[in-house]
Amino acid sequence: MQPQPGAAISRIMKILVIEDDATTGTYIARGLREEGHVVDLIDDGRTGLVAATSGAHDVLIVDRMLPGIDGLTLVKTLRGAGNTAPVLFLTAMGSVEDRIGGLNAGGDDYLVKPFAFGELSARVAALGRRPQAVEQETALHAGDLTLDLLTRRVVRAGQELDLLPREYALLEFLLRRKGRVQTRTMLLEGVWDLSFDPMTNVVETHVSRLRAKVDKPFDVELIKTVRGAGYRIDG
Amino acid sequence: MKRLWRSMPLRLALLLVVLFATVSLLSLAASYAYSRSAFEQSIRDDLAQDMAGFRAAPSARAVSILVQAESNETDPGRLVLSYVTPSGQIYGNGAVARDDEGFHIISLEAGRAELEGQYLALSERLYGGRLTIARSRAEIEALRPVFLNILWISLLPTVLIALSGGFILARRSQRHVEVIRRALEHLTGGDLSARVQSGPRWSDDLARIGSAVNGMAQAQERSVAALRQVSSDIAHDLKTPVQRVSVRLEALAEMVEPGEAADLVVQTRAEVSGISATFASLLQLAQVENGALKAQFAPVDLALLCRTMVEVYEPSAAEKEQRLSVSGAEAGLVSGQKTLLSQMIANLLENAMRHTPPGAAIDVSVVQEGAYVILEVRDDGPGIPPAEYDRVTQRLYRLEQSRHTPGNGLGLSLVDGVARLHGAVLSFGDAEPGLCVRVRFAAA
Repeated sequence: MQPQPGAAISRIMKILVIEDDATTGTYIARGLREEGHVVDLIDDGRTGLVAATSGAHDVLIVDRMLPGIDGLTLVKTLRGAGNTAPVLFLTAMGSVEDRIGGLNAGGDDYLVKPFAFGELSARVAALGRRPQAVEQETALHAGDLTLDLLTRRVVRAGQELDLLPREYALLEFLLRRKGRVQTRTMLLEGVWDLSFDPMTNVVETHVSRLRAKVDKPFDVELIKTVRGAGYRIDG
Repeated sequence: MKRLWRSMPLRLALLLVVLFATVSLLSLAASYAYSRSAFEQSIRDDLAQDMAGFRAAPSARAVSILVQAESNETDPGRLVLSYVTPSGQIYGNGAVARDDEGFHIISLEAGRAELEGQYLALSERLYGGRLTIARSRAEIEALRPVFLNILWISLLPTVLIALSGGFILARRSQRHVEVIRRALEHLTGGDLSARVQSGPRWSDDLARIGSAVNGMAQAQERSVAALRQVSSDIAHDLKTPVQRVSVRLEALAEMVEPGEAADLVVQTRAEVSGISATFASLLQLAQVENGALKAQFAPVDLALLCRTMVEVYEPSAAEKEQRLSVSGAEAGLVSGQKTLLSQMIANLLENAMRHTPPGAAIDVSVVQEGAYVILEVRDDGPGIPPAEYDRVTQRLYRLEQSRHTPGNGLGLSLVDGVARLHGAVLSFGDAEPGLCVRVRFAAA
C-alpha cells in the first residue's frame, strides 16, 4: 500500500482502533501507521473502553459491533465520562437509523463497511482537525484565488469567475478544508447533503466543470485529484 | 354524524324505542277501547234504569207530567227527555226528528236548533205515546284527550331517554372503537409499539378486543425484533468477510501490473461493491418496514429534493443521451425522513433511466393538490403492462422485459416501503407513452 499523498501534510496523531475483526483491524492500523500516525489496535470492547479512558488519543475508530461492550455503549460511556475525543464509527449496517443512532450516541462520523482505506484516511484527517474555533472569516484564499463569502464572488488572478451555485458550494467546501483530501462521499454529504452514494458520477462531473472555470484558464492547477481517494485544494 | 347513525348502540336504542312505542300504543289503544265500551255500557244501563222509572208511572198523563217536571231541571246537552202523547203533544226538553241523513235530536227551546254531539237513545211505546230518552256521549268523547295525554306523558320521556342514552352510548363506543382503529392503523403503518389504551369505562367486549389487539401487536413486535436481530447478525457476519475481500482486493490492485490480471481485479471489485449495495438495500428495506424511523420525521421540501436528485443524476442521464427535467411547484413540504425520501427519488430516477432507451425524456414533478403533495416521475419509454402494476413492488421481482437490464429488483420495493412509512400512496399509470409513477403524500 502506498502512503496517501493527501495524508502527507496531516499532523501526526495518536489513534485508537477498536475492531474485533483481525483482518480489518490490521489493515486499518497498517495503513494509518504508513501515514505516520501512532496506532493502538484493540479487539474487544471492554479493553477498548479502558484504553480510551486514558484520554491519550486524538481520534478513536470504533466498530459498532464488538465482543464485551458494543461500540455504541462504549462511546456513550466515554461521552458520559467527559471524554471528547472525536469518534469514527465503523459499521456493517449502514442504514439511516443506524447512522443516526451512532451520531446520537456521540460519534462524530460514520463509515460503512466495506470501505476503501482512502475514505477512512480522509475522514480521520478531517476528524483530527475538528476542534476549531468558529472563525469569523469573510473570505477564503488559495494561491491567487479568493472566494468572498459575503458577496459570493470568486476572483482568480484579478479575473472574476462566473460559477453556478453548486460549483460555488463545491469550491467553498474544498477551500474550507484546504490541504485535506475530500472523498466522493464526503463531497456528496457536504455539498449535496446526501448521506448515501447514488453511484453516479455527479461529483466527477461537477469537479471537472469547476476545474474548467477555476483551473483551465490559468497556469497553476489548484484542485488536485488524489488517486483512489478524492480531491484536495492546497494552500 | 353519518357514521354515528350506523353505530350499533344507536341502532339498538332506535329499535328499542320503536318496539316500546308500539307496545305502549297497542296497550293504550286496548285500554281506550275497553274504557269506551265500559262507559257506553254504563250509559245504556242508566238509560234502561231511566226507562224503568217512567214505566212505573200509571198513565200517559202521569208520564207527561213526570217528563215535563224532569226536563225543566235537566240540561238537554246531557240528557234529553221526550214524550209524544197518543194525541200528538210533545213533552220534554227535546225531540227526535228524522230526515234524509237519519235521526237528529233537536232542542225544543226557541229556534229548535239541532243539539250538537252524539247521544245514546232508548225509545219505547208507553201508554200509546212514545218515550225517548237520550244521554250524551260527551263523557265517552272526553276519554280521547285523556288517553292522548296519557300517551304523551308516558311515551315522550321514555323515547327521549332511550334516544339520548343510545346517542351517548353510541358516542362513547364510537370513541372507544376509534381508539382501537387508530392503534390498528399505527400497527399497519409499521409502528409496532402502538397499543390500545382502554379506560375503566370501556365495555367488556371492546376491552377484550383491545387486549387481543395488544397481544397481537406484542407478538408481532417480538418476532420483528427477533428478525431484526437475525438480519443485523447476518449483516455483521457476512459484511465483515466482504470487507476482508475488499481489503485484499485493494492490496492486490496495488500489486498487479496493468493487463489482464489488473482488469480481473477491477471487475471483481465492482462485483464486491454490487454485493454490498444489494446488502445495503435489503437491510434498508427491513428497516423502512419497521417504522421506528417515524420518530425522526421532520418537514422536508420534496421539490428541493427533486431538484438536487435530478442534478445528481444528470451526468448519468447525459451518458445515455436521456433528458432529465424538473417541473411543478417551487416547494412541496411533507413530513418525513430526508435521506429515505432522497433515496426514493433516486430509485425512481434510476428505474426510469434503466428501463427507457437512449433519447428518452424523464420528468420529475412535485405539485400541491389540496391537502396532498404529489410526486410524479414520468418517462416516455415502453412503460409496463397494467397487469404488472401490483407486482413490480415485490422484492426481487423483475419484469420479463427487464431481465437483462442491470438492477437488483429492490428499487421499487424500497420506494413502496418508504412511501408506506410516510403514509403516502404509490401508484402507477400510463403516461401515454411511458410509465408514470405517482406518490401521493399528505402535505405537511
